[in-house]
Amino acid sequence: VTRGAIGRRLGLAIVMVSTAGCGGGALRSESSAEAASVRGSVVRIGFVAPLSGPFASAGEDMRRGFRLYLDRHEGRLGGRQVNVIEVDEGAGPETGVPAIRRLLTRDRVVATVGIVNSAVALGAHQSFVDARVPLIIATAGANDLTGAKGSEYIWRTSFANADFNHAFGRWLATQPPIPGGVFLLAAEYVAGHEQLTAFKKAFTAGGGKIAGEQYSPFGTTQDFQPYLTQVRASGAGAVYVFYAGQDAIGFVRQYKDFGLAGRIPLYGPGFLTEGPTLVAQGAAADGIMTILNYASELDTPVNRDFVASYEMAYDAEPTAFSVQAHDAAAVLDAALGEIDGSVSGSGLVAALPKVGEIDSPRGPWRFTPRRNPDQHVYLRQVRREGDTFVNAVIEDLGPVRPEATP
Amino acid sequence: MIGWLSDNLVSILNGVALGCLLFALAVGLSLVFGILDVLNLAHGSLFLAGAYAAWKLADDGSATGFLFAVVLAAVIGGAGGLALTAATRPLAGRGHLDQALLTLGLALVVTELVQMWFGHDPHGVLAPVGGSLDIGGGYPTYRLVLIGVGVVVALLVDRAVEHTRVGALVRATVCDSDMVAALGVNTRLVRSGAFAVGGALAGVAGVLGAPLLGANPHLDAQVLLLALVVIVIGGLGSVRGALLGALLIGQVQSLGIALAPRQAPFLLFGTMALVLVVRPAGLLGTRTVSS
Repeated sequence: VTRGAIGRRLGLAIVMVSTAGCGGGALRSESSAEAASVRGSVVRIGFVAPLSGPFASAGEDMRRGFRLYLDRHEGRLGGRQVNVIEVDEGAGPETGVPAIRRLLTRDRVVATVGIVNSAVALGAHQSFVDARVPLIIATAGANDLTGAKGSEYIWRTSFANADFNHAFGRWLATQPPIPGGVFLLAAEYVAGHEQLTAFKKAFTAGGGKIAGEQYSPFGTTQDFQPYLTQVRASGAGAVYVFYAGQDAIGFVRQYKDFGLAGRIPLYGPGFLTEGPTLVAQGAAADGIMTILNYASELDTPVNRDFVASYEMAYDAEPTAFSVQAHDAAAVLDAALGEIDGSVSGSGLVAALPKVGEIDSPRGPWRFTPRRNPDQHVYLRQVRREGDTFVNAVIEDLGPVRPEATP
Repeated sequence: MIGWLSDNLVSILNGVALGCLLFALAVGLSLVFGILDVLNLAHGSLFLAGAYAAWKLADDGSATGFLFAVVLAAVIGGAGGLALTAATRPLAGRGHLDQALLTLGLALVVTELVQMWFGHDPHGVLAPVGGSLDIGGGYPTYRLVLIGVGVVVALLVDRAVEHTRVGALVRATVCDSDMVAALGVNTRLVRSGAFAVGGALAGVAGVLGAPLLGANPHLDAQVLLLALVVIVIGGLGSVRGALLGALLIGQVQSLGIALAPRQAPFLLFGTMALVLVVRPAGLLGTRTVSS
């Protein structure tokens, strides 16, 4: 074999490796629930979140939030014992969708909670409709899930991507004009485009100027120098970015390394500086302003109580992911409480519209007619507090009415 | 021309810095493939070990901690290389697919272990040399240091392989292992040694790269991909090929993206495909081996 042939074969191997990295088996674990009560009213609930792969950190937070709600309610929802069946969403649809199919067919759950990756939610949403089992999305933000592809079987306790970006754009346009305009930057995937588009629409409608817009390849960008150089060359007076997890850590650290931090203000959706991401960024994140539907620093009795129990149980701060999954449990609690007798998927779907206000750590909210949360969003800024950095709440930007955002 | 150069100076400089890092990462993979004919998909795991060593010992930017991390990573990488020699020996002569399956499996095991020990969260590492220089509005000093270190490593490796007796043995083993063995040389030792050195370099590269890439359980797959592209472009088993490939990919990933941001997702593999079409053996890979 010539080296040339080996080279070509290696090229194939590279493609193989690049897909194998997305592996992550569908681990399952069945929680220990007490044996079925005499009336046999144990309710089977599916829980889908990434327990492996690049989103595992968010998945772990969701799991903790959901668990905490159950633990604080003696493992009961709506007065019934529940049996939570957890499956691993993995990195994307290739692991997430089959895991969900198993929940629906073999485990015969009456409701499912979770999902981080919008591609998984979009890939599985028809299965929920067909199986007549409600899905309560606790993170995935694709606008279509509660828009064009909305269904009475698909509910969401998190957000649609457009929601808070729209609010931030509107708010920033009311501030003193930004010389040179705002440079937009995000990872190249659906969420990146939806988030930036919503910001841009609201910001330009309010008279704001855009200095440039760019998308970095998702999952293969480790070095942001080419983008940072362009930001500088554009003469932008501010930067608005959508990055999460490892991308967010790399970007924020390099933003400081290349001398942009402190000179050009950095804005973005709150995932940029949420939870363990902020811990890893440390001082590099100081001063960044973000928007999100939650901040662990929110000073309300409900949140103080929630944060205290969460820290007690897991020795970590809760994140927006924790709260969204926690609230999904609260929604199920209220919906199951509306049902007399045996529980079915269609029974739950009939009960879900009757769920009233959820008294959440993020502040009270209720579902809109399109089954999205009608919630407040908060402007936050990273500030030093002792040895650590926190997302201090600067301003409550009020309720986002998703149906009003185009 | 001068205007274009000064506009893109930061991108070009950064391409060289990335190239230096990629060389330290890829040269071991290339040598192991050339000498042992082993396709080692666990190479990224040794880089991963280096990155976590840097995070554990030097995440606050301490220079002493960083040096300790370099030494520790070299030891872990070297030991890992020896272990991989032993693990792949029974597969000798069974083709590259079996080796790929074994080493990819080992890489997945390492990723799982890292998650068990250190958790899922990604981490950042402060550079031991902070601050930035006034080049094109600000360029991190550490990346210039990286260029210096990369040049030293490249010179040392090149000198060792091309101009020493041990290097001559290594090159001879690449060309015709059986003939070298017939001359009374212990080729097992040469093979283990090359694997250990390649592993140690990958571990050190993990430490050096930590201030840029941080540490997370999936870093191994990301860097392995880059290393494979580098050695395919440069030519398998060639030290200078690995250097050329690394510098080229460094430029593609910085200057290339700066000039053609919309094509960014295609640049890396587009470059590889182009090189494979024009020179199927890689830029400097002219020799042939028997299989």
